[in-house]
Amino acid sequence: MNKALRNPLVFILFVIPALTLFFVFFIYPIFSSIYYSFTSWNGVSDTVKYTGLDNFKKALGDDRFWVSVKNNGWFILFSVFIQVPLIVFFSLLIANVKKLKGLYKTAVFMPSIMSTAVIGILWGFIYEPNIGLFNKLLGLFGVEPIYWLSDERFAMLSILITNAWQWTGFYIVMVLAAILSIPSELDEAAAIDGATGFQRATRITLPLIVPIISVVIMLSIAGAMKAADIVIVMTKGGPAGSTEVMATYMIKYAITNFKYGYGNTIAVLIFVFTLVVTALYQLLFNRRSERIEY
Amino acid sequence: MPRTLKKSLPHIALLGYLLVVLFPFLFVLFSSVKKDNNSIALNPFGIPKEFVFNNYVEAWVNAKISTYFFNSLYISVLASVVSILLASMFAFAVTRMRQGKWNTILFSLVLIGMLIPNNALMLPIYTIVRKLHILNSHWALIIPYIANAIPFTIIILAAFMRSLPSEIEEAAVMDGLKAPGIFAKIIVPLTVPAMVTVFIVNFLGNWNEFLLANYFLSNDELRTLPVGMVQFRDQYQMNYAQMSAGIVYSVLPVVIIYAVLQEKIIEGVTAGSVKG
Repeated sequence: MNKALRNPLVFILFVIPALTLFFVFFIYPIFSSIYYSFTSWNGVSDTVKYTGLDNFKKALGDDRFWVSVKNNGWFILFSVFIQVPLIVFFSLLIANVKKLKGLYKTAVFMPSIMSTAVIGILWGFIYEPNIGLFNKLLGLFGVEPIYWLSDERFAMLSILITNAWQWTGFYIVMVLAAILSIPSELDEAAAIDGATGFQRATRITLPLIVPIISVVIMLSIAGAMKAADIVIVMTKGGPAGSTEVMATYMIKYAITNFKYGYGNTIAVLIFVFTLVVTALYQLLFNRRSERIEY
Repeated sequence: MPRTLKKSLPHIALLGYLLVVLFPFLFVLFSSVKKDNNSIALNPFGIPKEFVFNNYVEAWVNAKISTYFFNSLYISVLASVVSILLASMFAFAVTRMRQGKWNTILFSLVLIGMLIPNNALMLPIYTIVRKLHILNSHWALIIPYIANAIPFTIIILAAFMRSLPSEIEEAAVMDGLKAPGIFAKIIVPLTVPAMVTVFIVNFLGNWNEFLLANYFLSNDELRTLPVGMVQFRDQYQMNYAQMSAGIVYSVLPVVIIYAVLQEKIIEGVTAGSVKG
């Protein structure tokens, strides 16, 4: 029996295809990015010039790059401080209702399966200054039309709202799954002891779902760092670069402007920043969330 | 009375949230059958007074939505199927075959793939695709899509295969099966439920992918649906009724898949994200 499953040749043949793709499309690109981040290259010509830390110095002194970093920061802050509380609030509500639970769960998830590009178009229409839904709604209260996507004051906010609309339901379903896997005896025991619904939610359910909330925050941070398509579709980084994020700035440089070396420097900085933010989060907030046993 | 009020409060909040989620869809659906921008502007919230289905004909014909639609369909299906095939072979090897520490080493290596923010890798992948001379062909999307899905697919399938009891293999070996036979005739059929889940998640990911599709293809005939839609919007910017019809086309298949398979989709996503 052991012989059949110990055949090294078969083993190698089975792992090679996936492993090759993994090396070509994950491992090699990382080292390639790091290598080219120290060079000046247009991505096409034969001459690759080694320039040391020049690109990194350039990026750190590049105001427009810092605007894009700041905008990634807005993505993180918006998801952590506005979206996450809403996610927890609505998850608790859905977990505790008896009627329509299936409907809520199914409907809230729907935006998350849509293409970000199409959602960007759809919301672009909603933000349309003259006939879009938002301004028509505000018009009912006598508010003057707002140029949501072409006004520097509102463009970033508009994108953040769209992004939240798309992903909140996705995380609600995750948190909901965690809540529903808590044994109901805990809740029932508390109810018998006379705890109110609110007390049970905050004292029993909430502490038990801290680990999954932590996962949600980590995923939001990762998502915030790589946000790009929504920006490209909705504003192309404009007006005047005010909604540029790191990933769109990277693409703009490397593919549109043929600054392949500098583009890779930004890619490496995206890595570094993501690592730093995640590590900081783990250090500062994640100490207490040990594994929970019921 | 206060008791019923207390009971309905969560529903009021939840229905409010539902309205926020669903109203944009309704708005687009209504707009898609309105006559022109003017009739949208005059009646943005309500049901159209007359139904203009010509918008759908115009969008399908003018905007070549049919071309984009079938491009997306075959790229997504092909890439998802191949990545499941390759990932299941890998998962079988590292979970069921006996190669001592190699099983753990290879599996953990692939796990690292889940931690890499993959669109930061877009530039090197662009160069690889160009060097392979497949830029501006469908392979420029299919191969990276297959590769991208591999870590997640392996994790889910490996978890599932690990849970299968080892007695089934013993019986299979008695019957004279070798490792490839055990894989094809025993393990794969048993893993089908997990494969369906992973297929849906990968399919939706590929169907919705925008960045690579936008930058790796420049021929209009090759474009996928999300990119085609953005093109379409830029061309027909001023005709919102037609644009809405286009949006409905691109959203409809996903909504249908979702309506049929929503349990599986939600299950797959929760499994993937909790582990990731």
